Amino acid sequence: MNHPLNEFACPFVNRRRFLREVATWTAGAAVAVPLFRIAPRAQAATSSPTLVVGKGTDYEALVAKVLEPIGGLAPFIKKGAKVVVKPNIAWDRTPEQAANTHPLVVKAMVKLCLAAGASKVMVFDRTCHKEQLTYVSSGIQKAVESIKDPRVSCTFVDDRKFVPVKIAKGKANTQWDFYKDALEADCYINVPIAKHHRLAGLTLGLKNIFGIIGGKRGELHKTLGQSIVDLNLVRPPTLTVIDATRILLRNGPTGGKLDDVKELHTLIVSTDTVAADAYATTLFGMKPDEIETTRLGAAMGLGEADLNKVKIVQV
Amino acid sequence: MKPRLIGVRWTWLRRATQWVLLALFLWLFRHTENRGAPGVNAAANAIFRLDPLVAVSAMLAVKELVLSLWPALITVTLTLLLGRFFCGWVCPLGTLLDLTHRVLPRRRTAPNPRWRVAKFFLLGVVLVSAVAGFQLIGWLNPFSILVRGLTVAVDPALTWTLTAPFTWLLRHAPESVTNISEPIYAWLKVHVLAFSQTRFQWAWVSLGILLLVFALELVERRCWCRNLCPSGALLGWLGRFSWLRRLPGRVCGGCKAESDCGEDCRMGAFDSEKRFLSESCNLCMDCVVRCPSGAAQFRFKPAMKPAAPFEPSRRLFLVSLATGIAVPVAARASGAAHRMPSDLIRPPGARPEKEFLEACVRCGECMKVCVTNALQPVLFETGLSGTFSPRLVPRMGYCEYNCTLCSQVCPTGAIQRLPLAQKQKFVMGRAIFNKEICLPYAKGESCITCEEHCPLPEKAIQFREVETVRKATGERVVVKQPFTLLKLCIGCGLCVNKCPVEGTAGVKVVRADAVPLAVRKEYEQLEASIAPSPKGVTDPY
Repeated sequence: MNHPLNEFACPFVNRRRFLREVATWTAGAAVAVPLFRIAPRAQAATSSPTLVVGKGTDYEALVAKVLEPIGGLAPFIKKGAKVVVKPNIAWDRTPEQAANTHPLVVKAMVKLCLAAGASKVMVFDRTCHKEQLTYVSSGIQKAVESIKDPRVSCTFVDDRKFVPVKIAKGKANTQWDFYKDALEADCYINVPIAKHHRLAGLTLGLKNIFGIIGGKRGELHKTLGQSIVDLNLVRPPTLTVIDATRILLRNGPTGGKLDDVKELHTLIVSTDTVAADAYATTLFGMKPDEIETTRLGAAMGLGEADLNKVKIVQV
Repeated sequence: MKPRLIGVRWTWLRRATQWVLLALFLWLFRHTENRGAPGVNAAANAIFRLDPLVAVSAMLAVKELVLSLWPALITVTLTLLLGRFFCGWVCPLGTLLDLTHRVLPRRRTAPNPRWRVAKFFLLGVVLVSAVAGFQLIGWLNPFSILVRGLTVAVDPALTWTLTAPFTWLLRHAPESVTNISEPIYAWLKVHVLAFSQTRFQWAWVSLGILLLVFALELVERRCWCRNLCPSGALLGWLGRFSWLRRLPGRVCGGCKAESDCGEDCRMGAFDSEKRFLSESCNLCMDCVVRCPSGAAQFRFKPAMKPAAPFEPSRRLFLVSLATGIAVPVAARASGAAHRMPSDLIRPPGARPEKEFLEACVRCGECMKVCVTNALQPVLFETGLSGTFSPRLVPRMGYCEYNCTLCSQVCPTGAIQRLPLAQKQKFVMGRAIFNKEICLPYAKGESCITCEEHCPLPEKAIQFREVETVRKATGERVVVKQPFTLLKLCIGCGLCVNKCPVEGTAGVKVVRADAVPLAVRKEYEQLEASIAPSPKGVTDPY
């Protein structure tokens, strides 16, 4: 594992050791489950986190516009980096039905990653409905493949590539399976869509981690809020871009009725996923601490939920 | 005198045709699945629609004209012209049996006439039983046997066997090895392997029948085709009227070859008096090619009478008729016949149960194409009448809301082709909860994974917030306890499939008419009791 340690990807020092454990477990050279024993630390130790909010109907231009105040993708992607762009492709729904991330947003992100010098950009999601249906109906596979760049791939999750990871600081879960490609990425860009979710209240940036974990995800519903936070300890996103171009107000996360969709043409960007979630909550007319996941995420030190302490930049 | 085609060319032509059509059959089999395309190849079920016996037995059973089975007319027409060529040139099972014969030790046994007429007996039983509304074709149709056997047993085993070494390498080998093995696996996954690993219950039964057909090659060459295949029997009978005829009509006396046509014929198409049996000949052309004197040949002679009388006797015909009546009567009189398990769910668009079982030819195509591996073969759950018909088993797979693939491949319309909007309203069953198992009820745990996944735009699963004790910790909690809006639920089984409880799920799908009255009343009360609040976030706009 010779890739440079990316400060933003992981402010935690022993990530390199963890990745070595992943590699040796995968090669069958060790039986011990890789242990992610790093303690969470506040994302912004010295300054309040920055959050950018933008509105616009040209989504490709909007993506570039909201990344500008934080310096584009250059601070996050070093030349030759392996990047994972993780949208929501879980549901057999069309873009208008607002169950998956908008394909144009995903396409724009991938193109910017390439422009920043990524050697590989992988787009995938562990779906809920059958993947051969969701990748097509979401429009994401077609959008990504239209870029026609050999560095880009939009593939199905391979069930053989899940690695068990021990979560030392996990409260509800102390071990779970994670997707190898997501663990090993130099830069992990989280691109969820903002939706209603009966049990969680809303599904936003923190919950999008469900797409890179294995196992029986239904099990996690017993302690959903805390479980989501525990999982985010292992792979906190380098950057979260919440797709609020259209949001699902009711009958989420599956959706299906266009009446439940509201077009907002908005994108929210932050390196602090908790702050991004907190802001996205307000788009639904709710307060950030009404969402358990956001509350618990802040309590565990994953980020800042109090919007008064967040530097919000409107573009 | 028309010049005869040089002998060797016939063998080459026949073998080439057999290979090409076998490859086409296997290619279509592999492509009876979905990898993202909007539908499935229209020719996927072609082999079933070409079989005249499938067409006749399906239409006799449902007593309707099934237009999708028109390709069978092509086979009938060509058979009336050429004879039973289908069995020698087209049938994939025939080709596979020929290939099997090449690897078996060579034995020569005299063809037994008694076995030869068995196929006509079986043909009669299938036809009469179909008229009586009891579909037996699934047990005896060569394509049902082949496709179902491949679908439920051979293909899953092949997928597993070819995938396992690559998985092992991925888990235990260093990158230098996996850099080579993974691209190979990726190529296999696209071009050879099924899209995903499938699993089927009762697979060993269908496999056993398929292997038995092949094992019969040890008894006699093309034993199945000669003696048992009812589709071949029908084609053979039609072939007696064909315009193409074999000359001479009997084995030549004083044959100069090592062994004569009667001894060599792969179909045993000569009777004990060495007369040619046109109902057995599959036009392999071996005798023409081998003939040292050029006497053996095929000519168009429509007026010529068959060399030998039709073998099955009137007695056989009557026994066949009687059996064809006795089987349905016995099956219906048996105790098992009226068994209909409350959780036996049919595919979406299935005709009402009686017509469904009449039309279903147990081909296995729906099970092959189902994207979630939900459709599974029945064994004796409904007595003998439903064996090998498909049922939806939610724990194995659910019915994808936007999918109509099973109805697209069903050759007889047992699963009716409905427009998507109609299919999405087709009630396969209703979901009902088991309070002893469902976590919020039984353990006071948070869940509603079922509600989360319900694919209906207006979810058919709602819940009531109830204060209870969380058994694991003893604390008092408020949990969402789910119930079904029975009028909306279509029984797709997604809730059952995603239920995180190990083993039996906390919810199950039962037939719409099998929802207990008490449950129906309870859910109606619950629906009335939950406040008609907005089912999501208060719309701030």
